[in-house]
Amino acid sequence: MTETTTEIISTKLNPNVLPHLHIWEWHIPLYLFLGGMAGGLLVITSIMIVLKRRFGIGPRDEGDGCPCLAVRIGSILSPVLLGVGMLFLFLDLAHPLYVWAFYTTIQPTSPMSAGSWILIAFFPLAVLQAMLVNKKFLRERNIGIVNKLIDWTEDHLTPVALVNAHIGVGIGIYTGILLSFFSARPLWSSSILGMLFLVSGISSAAALMLLLAPDDEKPTYSMIDANAIWIELVVVGLFVLGGITGPANSSGAMMHLIAGDYQMAGLSYMIWFWGIFVALGLLVPLLLEFLEAAGVHIKFPQVAPVLVLIGGLVLRFLIVFAGQTYHTFM
Amino acid sequence: MAKQKNYGMVIDTRVCVACSACVYACKSENGVPEGYCRDWVVQETEGAYPKLRMENRSERCQHCENAPCVTYCPTGASHYAGDGTVQVNRYRCTGCKACLAACPYDARYVHPEGYVDKCSLCKHRLEQGLETACVSVCPTTSLNLVDFNEPEAKADEMMNGKEVYRQKEHAGTNPSLYWISASNKPGA
Ligand code: SF4
Ligand code: SF4
Repeated sequence: MTETTTEIISTKLNPNVLPHLHIWEWHIPLYLFLGGMAGGLLVITSIMIVLKRRFGIGPRDEGDGCPCLAVRIGSILSPVLLGVGMLFLFLDLAHPLYVWAFYTTIQPTSPMSAGSWILIAFFPLAVLQAMLVNKKFLRERNIGIVNKLIDWTEDHLTPVALVNAHIGVGIGIYTGILLSFFSARPLWSSSILGMLFLVSGISSAAALMLLLAPDDEKPTYSMIDANAIWIELVVVGLFVLGGITGPANSSGAMMHLIAGDYQMAGLSYMIWFWGIFVALGLLVPLLLEFLEAAGVHIKFPQVAPVLVLIGGLVLRFLIVFAGQTYHTFM
Repeated sequence: MAKQKNYGMVIDTRVCVACSACVYACKSENGVPEGYCRDWVVQETEGAYPKLRMENRSERCQHCENAPCVTYCPTGASHYAGDGTVQVNRYRCTGCKACLAACPYDARYVHPEGYVDKCSLCKHRLEQGLETACVSVCPTTSLNLVDFNEPEAKADEMMNGKEVYRQKEHAGTNPSLYWISASNKPGA
């Protein structure tokens, strides 16, 4: 039998969709990374606060309601990183001056509409929490309104932290859902992407806290990170399996990611995915943190968390780029 | 009150000669900037030589009844106009590009002025009782504007007994463009 072929010649010009989708460059992956990390920081710090307040569990207590220094820094970084991420999101808009249009409507079917509201809802409570755990420094300033806010938060910290933990999860998942609702883009169209970005965000947040924490607090964050990496490995596995066992659109897109020779910054997707993301960004740090916990002290304890952060960033770039370079749903 | 319109197109690929008149009529009618287009011509060749089959067709936004671009637009800029067409309100469009990612037909582009643009089915002409620019210029009557709510449906008459398809129906978009397949050609 002779092989039949189909060849399509088109006069379409539009550079945003040809030769493949080309709408998002570095802004969006960076925003997804920062947003995921901000969500992760909020989850971890809120849970640490609740554990401390309610159950007395956690590292050293300085007697002012804050579990430890890392929580103090993490609580501040969370809204800051989200703010920076949103700046990139804003810069990506083709018409940034119309950004108000997001906030004069609620479009119930649009994840981006829900997301833009969650992003706003994030700030008030996250900032209050950051203020309270750093009240030592704010009290010195003795500003009336700030004092009042701190007093209020002081009385309600447990519920505030509980709500914040949920908002953090919401942000983390949202960064994945944003992509996974696009059924026209086979690689993104996977419901587990929200979960993947959430755990990756939590593990990046733990890595960042591990980097910044003083020595006596490090074991806590190393442990959180190691657990998050474990879960992330499982979720990555499910994401890949779900893709390759799926219909032609999904399996082709997954192969494009995990075995593709399409290049990003001079290296093939395959190398980025297995070599950099999975091996360097997940397996090596997991091993290092495992050794550390087993008492084998590593000369450069910063290596593991830095690798985790690189892995998290690479994951966002890979998913956003590979999702765009694969053909549209057929 | 006049009956609600439900506009769409029936495109007879049997007679399309891929002259691109529709593309240029659209560009001048709608001021489409250089390097972009709202409609385009596709030539699809299939088979194994010498048994080849070719279909020419003029493609554009499908004015889906279940349009992912509208579903995902966070601002309501992309919307159903109530006459069967899908429109973009450029004064609410932030250029977030969610709709470009959502469209399974890659029918949209980012206008250099910072909003997203696509075929409007010449809404401004329809409102004046005119046909779209592409339909009015098509020399072979391959392009046909139809109102699916019309009682003596011109659409049915055109499509009756022929092999008709819609593109990517399995995407669940319920597109308003119907294609009379070139395989209906004698000798195909
Ligand atoms: S073809 Fe694309 S742009 Fe047109 S209505 Fe359907 S989804 Fe929207
Ligand atoms: S680019 Fe404009 S029309 Fe498209 S989804 Fe964003 S706001 Fe809506």
